[in-house]
Amino acid sequence: MTHFDLFSLAPSVDLDVAALEAQHRKLAMESHPDRVADPHARRLAAERSAALNDAIKVLKDPVRRAFYVLELKGVKLDSDQAAAKVKMPMDFLEEIMEQREQLEAVKARRNLEEAHAMAAKMHALRDETLARARDALRKDDVPTATTALGRVRYYTRFLEEVDAFEEELAS
Amino acid sequence: MAYSEKVIEHFENPGNVGTLDKNDPNVGTGLVGAPACGDVMRLQLKISDEGVIQDAKFKTFGCGSAIASSSLVTEWVKGKSMEDAMKITNKEIAQELSLPPVKIHCSVLAEDAIKAAIEDFRAKRAARRAPEAAATEAAKEA
Repeated sequence: MTHFDLFSLAPSVDLDVAALEAQHRKLAMESHPDRVADPHARRLAAERSAALNDAIKVLKDPVRRAFYVLELKGVKLDSDQAAAKVKMPMDFLEEIMEQREQLEAVKARRNLEEAHAMAAKMHALRDETLARARDALRKDDVPTATTALGRVRYYTRFLEEVDAFEEELAS
Repeated sequence: MAYSEKVIEHFENPGNVGTLDKNDPNVGTGLVGAPACGDVMRLQLKISDEGVIQDAKFKTFGCGSAIASSSLVTEWVKGKSMEDAMKITNKEIAQELSLPPVKIHCSVLAEDAIKAAIEDFRAKRAARRAPEAAATEAAKEA
């Protein structure tokens, strides 16, 4: 059963998140383990609650949802399967290397402002690339979606690094 | 997931982090990445004209296992011939570092980086020799 099945939805990158969350609340209430006394039914309810929680986390986040839709199309990007081993273009890897080294220097100077400026650019790039991936997924163009989401993964790592730096400075 | 002691050792105390001049004709650069994790790894080898690896440097942005894998291979390849370095497999790397199955791709990345760096050096050398060969041909004809 897929995350979409739990909500009786067809797999799609396009979702009404507000409606999904309302539906999740309703379903979560119905399958709350405290509502049943029978131990077996209780266990099933607990399992269903856990599945619903996993599903909502993935589906409400546009990035994770796109990765998941790609997975349903046969490419699990964070795995060792052959289909996930796409070669990233050399100029892209060079660009990422350069950006990461630059961020490292900014971190060494403990300059949060510069890190934020870099993150803003990365964010824009990620959104743009995610839009391209979503478009490819709508057209069932798996190779394009795979490479685009590969890029999204790199942009996301960069943004996580900035977040970690911010937390480090705040603590 | 807990890292093995050897991974932690390399992660906390990575050897050979840095860069070599990528324009040096004796330096081969390998740049690899895996979208599975969003890691990027640069491995540079300084190779003598006789084909012996004299120095190795790396820079990796990624998880502890990716950093440890690249740190380990820079230690291993020094003093080796290119041919022997090409024989290093991800299995040996993973075994040495006791990498769990989910981290095997980090060792694959390190193996790919060595190969990419050596191929880069070979391509550079071939490009360097090509004009020389052309010049010899021209001299013969004259």
